[in-house]
Amino acid sequence: MLEERIKMMIRDAKKLFQVTQEWKSIRTNILKIDSEELYERLKEKFDIKRIPWYENGFFIKGEIAKSIEYYLGYYHIQEASSMLPPIVIQAEKNDRIVDLCAAPGSKTTQMAMHMENRGIIIANDINIERIKALVHNVQKSGIMNCIVTNYDGRYFWKSGFKANKILLDAPCTASGKIIKNKKIIEKWNYKRILKMSRLQKKLMEGAYRCLEKGGIIVYSTCSLEPEENEEVIDYAVNSFNLEIERIDIKGIKIRRGIKEWNGKKYENMDKVIRIWPHDNLTEGFFICKLRKY
Amino acid sequence: MQIKKILDEKDIKRIEEIIERNYGCKFRMNSYGAFITSEEKIWLFSKSIDFGLFKKIKRCYRIGIYFGKLKRNNKIKLSIEGANLIGKNASKNIAILNDKEAIKFIEGYDVKADELINCELNNFVLIKYKGDVLGVGILRQGYIENLTPKARRLKI
Repeated sequence: MLEERIKMMIRDAKKLFQVTQEWKSIRTNILKIDSEELYERLKEKFDIKRIPWYENGFFIKGEIAKSIEYYLGYYHIQEASSMLPPIVIQAEKNDRIVDLCAAPGSKTTQMAMHMENRGIIIANDINIERIKALVHNVQKSGIMNCIVTNYDGRYFWKSGFKANKILLDAPCTASGKIIKNKKIIEKWNYKRILKMSRLQKKLMEGAYRCLEKGGIIVYSTCSLEPEENEEVIDYAVNSFNLEIERIDIKGIKIRRGIKEWNGKKYENMDKVIRIWPHDNLTEGFFICKLRKY
Repeated sequence: MQIKKILDEKDIKRIEEIIERNYGCKFRMNSYGAFITSEEKIWLFSKSIDFGLFKKIKRCYRIGIYFGKLKRNNKIKLSIEGANLIGKNASKNIAILNDKEAIKFIEGYDVKADELINCELNNFVLIKYKGDVLGVGILRQGYIENLTPKARRLKI
């Protein structure tokens, strides 16, 4: 079923089901070490090359969770395509950011390091077990501008906090991880997609309610399903004072959003991006930038 | 997280003095916001965070980083991040490890130092390896007791 659906989305669907991922990826923690210095240290121990679309990212082969540099928090193991939403959000020193579904904290720590430990970043997650991993990563990365909270993301707005930027990296069916895990094809379940889509829309509403006027929401998932991506954006744009802003990223092959699905037309999908696993040998991702007017 | 007190200038000065006495370096703790919990654990956070926010948001779980634990004998057991903040400028209570012992330290074993710089027996020491600060231990007779938390140890 998944294969049939993908064929309806892209012409080269066959290739998607054939590719595998050889390289892992890491991100330098620039709060602790310069990217060049890290590269010089790691090239002695690992096969390593730069990620073309991000100056602090590297593709790497080997036992990367077993090095002194990893122990010291000089780098974070992070999927290369998951480094994109924090790039799109362009975190700056005086921002007030909410990462609504933050655990285990890869994107939180990436944004915090771009903020140079200034401003405020609220890393929220509903799941207390996953918060433990988040707290571990925040500590290990030396992040001091972060408050970790434990709200249901749909109701975080009840905290009263207003943000100028929100990252909504929503829980999803994760079909974009197919490059790492082919079992996703067997486990594919349409009911689960619809359930996720409903949750994602609720989370979008929650994000909107704690966003300042003029502020931005970056919405992302690692799902390939239009119901979890374009459909959620369409709902957001038609329900709230949000407009889509175009995303362009150099150094990575991107494709634009699906314009029509199941007889429903989606507008402005030439502004959102889809990362297909077989284009860059990364996990799949969907990313959209919305501004509140 | 049971916050006992937001540290004021007097408290911070006292902690800075403890650090200087133990590690022979000045640490400008007032560059950060700081508080202490009922377990005497010191936490640092960016001054750009209005601490009132922490009180206002009800379901707060953590703020900033764990810096170290204040001990009764006017010592501080530093976290790895605390040791990193202080370690580069420290001149006392430093243990230097070689390649083999550094790996053992990261794995959580007690180690032997190649060099000890102004160390006191039974006191906390900063563990250094090729310019990196790996954490802290306690200098015992003939070895260093490893204080690396289990969650941070690696099998290399």
